Amino acid sequence: MTMAEELVRMEKINKFFGRVQALEDVSLSIRKNEIVGLLGDNGAGKSTLIKILSGALTAERGDIYINGRKVDIRNTTDAIAHGIETIYQDSALVTQLSIARNIFLGREPVKGPPLLGRMDQDAMNTAAAALLKRVGITKNIPPTTPISALSGGERQAVAIARAMHFESDLIILDEPTNNLGVDETRGVLRFVRQARDTGHSCIFIAHNIHHVFQVVDRIVVLRRGKKVADDIDPKQTTIEDVEWIITGMTAEDIHA
Amino acid sequence: MRSTGFLQRFIARPEFGPLVLLLVEIVVFTAFSGTFLSAGNISNLLAFTPELGMIALGMTMLMTSGEFDLSVGSTFGFAPIVMWTLYNSGVASLEVGFVAAMLLAVVIGFSNGWLVTRLKIPSFLVTLGMLLVVRGTALYITAGFPQGTWSAESPLMDLIVGDFTIFGFRIYASLIWFIVFAVILTYVLTKSKAGNWILAAGGNPQSAQARGVRVNRTKIVLFIMAAVMAAYAGVTSSIRVSAANPNSGTGYELEVIAMVVIGGTALTGGRGTIIGTVLGVLILRTMRNGIVMVGVPGLAYNIFIGAIILGMMALHSWLERRHHAGT
Repeated sequence: MTMAEELVRMEKINKFFGRVQALEDVSLSIRKNEIVGLLGDNGAGKSTLIKILSGALTAERGDIYINGRKVDIRNTTDAIAHGIETIYQDSALVTQLSIARNIFLGREPVKGPPLLGRMDQDAMNTAAAALLKRVGITKNIPPTTPISALSGGERQAVAIARAMHFESDLIILDEPTNNLGVDETRGVLRFVRQARDTGHSCIFIAHNIHHVFQVVDRIVVLRRGKKVADDIDPKQTTIEDVEWIITGMTAEDIHA
Repeated sequence: MRSTGFLQRFIARPEFGPLVLLLVEIVVFTAFSGTFLSAGNISNLLAFTPELGMIALGMTMLMTSGEFDLSVGSTFGFAPIVMWTLYNSGVASLEVGFVAAMLLAVVIGFSNGWLVTRLKIPSFLVTLGMLLVVRGTALYITAGFPQGTWSAESPLMDLIVGDFTIFGFRIYASLIWFIVFAVILTYVLTKSKAGNWILAAGGNPQSAQARGVRVNRTKIVLFIMAAVMAAYAGVTSSIRVSAANPNSGTGYELEVIAMVVIGGTALTGGRGTIIGTVLGVLILRTMRNGIVMVGVPGLAYNIFIGAIILGMMALHSWLERRHHAGT
């Protein structure tokens, strides 16, 4: 692996919550066009690691490099500016606002004199309608519909549509298939594959290992704040083996 | 769903309920009082309405972002005290006094916003404290006495609240300013990028923040706007009635919040309507005026106001539930 292929590298990340060490010298690298599954039991540090990358938390020690350049991610705005988009389990949408207004929230297109800050609502609605089709919402839902009127899967699809539209280099999906129906889950998994084919990288976190196995290129496992496996190929490993690693056996034990 | 007619969409709007209530009021009061619709009474009604209305406009924007301000009534009383005290004591011209009063309002609003957003203190407590500080300051610098305003002559006074007569109606410039502010703020809330940020800040501040919306800054700006609108309304009132009383504006904060929620803006944020607020202002002002006109004792006024607030809250919550039923 050369430096050029590498999109994101987190190096020796340490994070404390009070006196509890949530992450200890965890390093993670994501290549271009790669889907990495991040696995671990509850409290293993998956979400903490991801929140540091997406700017929701800051690490006490450790560095983050994007395209080989060291970056300083202090908040979510910084992360988005660096092309890192995060889709949380609760979708993080504003339920009172319409689909189109949610997709463009924070990056609304404006027209006319800049001082008036007039949103280009026609452009937003047109783009939103096209995006909804792309993420597989076949029902005819107008983009002016408030999020509160949508189902859980539809909401997740809106969040995904947002990540697709802004052409993020790295899309982090934190439990994207929670609370979703079978069809909706299939839609999300299809999107993840599609994202890789169109040049995005993904970090995929899910409790359901079967979902992870279906889409990822590589599996990374955290246990109690440490990285215990980095390069598991889902095509050459069984789900059972990975479960052992998650719960306590080391990668060396498996290969021995 | 998409083939709904204009009428149906009109009825589904949150402002429809308040509009019906206002029309009912006007019809009932006209039926029971011959002078309710007279030019004199309407002029009377429209003299004070813009002053409370301006506070309500600022409050609507702030409440849409999920906060509210109890100190607006105090600021309403405080700003003209600053302006007229500076002028009467010969320290500054009226114009300079006006600018000083507005700048102090900016400081009040900024302090409210900073304490709420940075120190994470609920706006109820912060603005309750500010209510006492600002009112106390107004009382202290005047020793409780009203400030005279009759010696002043300035084009600024005519610009703010000069009056003219048209078709027998006596109209104050403040009514025109109120309409101008309402139009501008309707535009901001519904059409502009800032409006999307305000709605998002009130609806789901965490995810708005995660999308790069500067939630704290948005709220601080709206706290400043609420204070400045209240200060401007107070100055308007003092020029119109030719007196700046350190006690004026007492209790306005609750009446204004009532007007805003009657109009359909959510106390919890995320939903706001300027048109609704204008209707809410007219509903309560018409009620106060009409009740006296039809001969109900003025002391019974609050019974009707309370009943309207409870009734409108019930209506809004029912509409909300019906809107989301089964989706």
